[in-house]
Amino acid sequence: MKKGVIALLFVCLFAIAGIWSGVVYAAEEIKVGIIDTYSGPPSSYALDVLDGFKLAMNKINAGGGILGKRLSYVTRDDKFKVDLGLTSAKELIMRENVNLLVGTINSAVSLAVSDLAKKENIPFIVTYGKSSNITGAKGHKFVFSMNENTEMIGKAAAIGLAKRPFVKYWIAGDDYEYGHAVADAVWNHLKKIKPDVQLMGQSWWKVGEPDFTPYITSILSAKPDAVIVATGGAGCIPFLKAAKNTGFNEKIPIYMHTATELSTLRPLGLDAPEGVIGTANYYFYYPETPENKAFVDEFRKAYDRYPSFGSLIGWCTASFIAEAYKKAGKVDAEQFAAALTGLTINSPIGNLTVGQFDNQLMLPMFMGVTKKVPGYDFLIASDIVTIPPNELITTAEEIRKAREQK
Amino acid sequence: MDFSSTISASGLIQQFLIGLSRSTILFIVSSGLSLVLGVLRIPNVAHGSLYMLGAFLCYSIATLVGAGSTGFWVGLALAPFCVAFVSLVVERALFSRLYDREHLMLLLFTFALMLLCRDAVKMIWGSEYRSLAPPEALQGSLSAFGMMFPKYNLFLLSLGPVVAIGLWFLTHKTKIGKIARAAAVDRDMVGAVGINVSWVFASVFVIGCFLAGLGGALVAPTQNINQGMDHTLIMEAFLIVIIGGLGNVWGALLGALIFGLTDSMGILVWPQFSIVFPYAVVVIALIFRPKGLLKATW
Repeated sequence: MKKGVIALLFVCLFAIAGIWSGVVYAAEEIKVGIIDTYSGPPSSYALDVLDGFKLAMNKINAGGGILGKRLSYVTRDDKFKVDLGLTSAKELIMRENVNLLVGTINSAVSLAVSDLAKKENIPFIVTYGKSSNITGAKGHKFVFSMNENTEMIGKAAAIGLAKRPFVKYWIAGDDYEYGHAVADAVWNHLKKIKPDVQLMGQSWWKVGEPDFTPYITSILSAKPDAVIVATGGAGCIPFLKAAKNTGFNEKIPIYMHTATELSTLRPLGLDAPEGVIGTANYYFYYPETPENKAFVDEFRKAYDRYPSFGSLIGWCTASFIAEAYKKAGKVDAEQFAAALTGLTINSPIGNLTVGQFDNQLMLPMFMGVTKKVPGYDFLIASDIVTIPPNELITTAEEIRKAREQK
Repeated sequence: MDFSSTISASGLIQQFLIGLSRSTILFIVSSGLSLVLGVLRIPNVAHGSLYMLGAFLCYSIATLVGAGSTGFWVGLALAPFCVAFVSLVVERALFSRLYDREHLMLLLFTFALMLLCRDAVKMIWGSEYRSLAPPEALQGSLSAFGMMFPKYNLFLLSLGPVVAIGLWFLTHKTKIGKIARAAAVDRDMVGAVGINVSWVFASVFVIGCFLAGLGGALVAPTQNINQGMDHTLIMEAFLIVIIGGLGNVWGALLGALIFGLTDSMGILVWPQFSIVFPYAVVVIALIFRPKGLLKATW
């Protein structure tokens, strides 16, 4: 009997100690809730982001953490669905007590979570959602974007394409928000810079279209000077494949935003078409600076593959979080958000700054042309032209207008 | 309204042939679906997943054998048989135990099979995109009379009649085919004359799945091989089977031709709204022939 009581006492003691240490432990860490698509085709991008995040996080923690606290994360799979993303975000805030939210590759999910973040006063850093509404018309002080948006893509493409002699264009793309947003942005900016361009026609296919050959042959018979292809994610690969099989790239110049990105070119191996014009925010082989080389080496050592743009996004997200908390001096949502606005860090591709007016990370854009280069078992970008961030940013005036119109 | 103003005769022929090659794939896959539907009376929802499995297996075998043309040919030859083997195991171990249950149970089973296949593919191959090159002899395109045809599409085009004749031979000239056709009409009677209906069902199911695997292996070099490829196809395959007449293999051929050709022609004529064309034709076909264009076996 007595033994039983003592045992019970011990159990209680351990339980209390456990809870107490748990509380202490929780206070000793900064917890990031990451919502992203970890199932289905978009997951390869989400995993690149996560690995980049982990790489920077481990380095931060090895160096003593942030304000003496460890950086940690929990992930939730939104399965590319708005309702699931939103419930995960709520759950992360209420049950996991995360200090801030990070995610996601789906623009619609990003917008929904951003809305919640505004209501709950919790910072939200968008990793891969590319809608310009996130930091534009629907932006607020708690939402930040770590990747390029459709407006920036449009401006960069227009600047690059205007230098080429094309006049008659054809637009083709995915029949959903990203496709139309990219196509509109490219076309509107191109017409501003070069008013004599003509639009010969458009083709729109459903998302997940498996075979592009009939679309390509129909564009070939229209004979435009160049084609603007507005397809993202999974569509890029079969499109480039069909372009190679039909010899499309040899007959008509193609511009496609992500055509030169590693995520697109790596799966195609040496079967990707050459001469396709593409824009990207990151190449592991350009710029050839010691910082970039160090990042590539570290990433390869940790994950045995080359880092993609997604990896850079993840790395930047963790690094910005650390710097913003250090600048704020304490773990507080309001002060963190205020500190992150306008913050500059030194990244593998040089200094990067979060925009003052819209909280949009000001990334440079690189325009290149796909090419086979010895030493790589996939194509890489060549003839790279850098378009600096100050030519791509949305002005304070434009932001104000967009937010008023809403 | 933005009709393409310059549609030349050569453009038309080129588009027609591309459409035909697309129809070939649709025919191969939907004929398998139709065969299973006709004999087993089950809409096999997992048909698309087996098609996906065929594509992934073709990719894996091709990369395992080695780069270059032989890898692809070995993959193309083996992948459909691997899919058929998987389906045989599934049929004998699980599916055959459900034949005397009600219909809904069988439908639920194929649905479960679809989910299992999807997760199995994710576990085995991961979520990265895969890509397979066509064999060297079939890369690039042939140009003639100002037209241009990708060689691989011409190869697909030539396979269509081979599969159609093979299916005709199988269903009309072989014993198993004749029994299967009889079982489609009256399965109790076939059982009553002393034929093991269970094995007939198994063989038809396996042949149907073989065709799904073949379709998957054949499209592997034309698109990216990923987890989403099953549900895009299964939708189209069901539509084709429905407009062709449930369970009628020739209906599947007709349906595939209509679907593939209206799709590619729509893209040429009105590219901005081309998505609508094949579905509009399905609606029109069903208004006039609600039971499908050819006689349904149901």
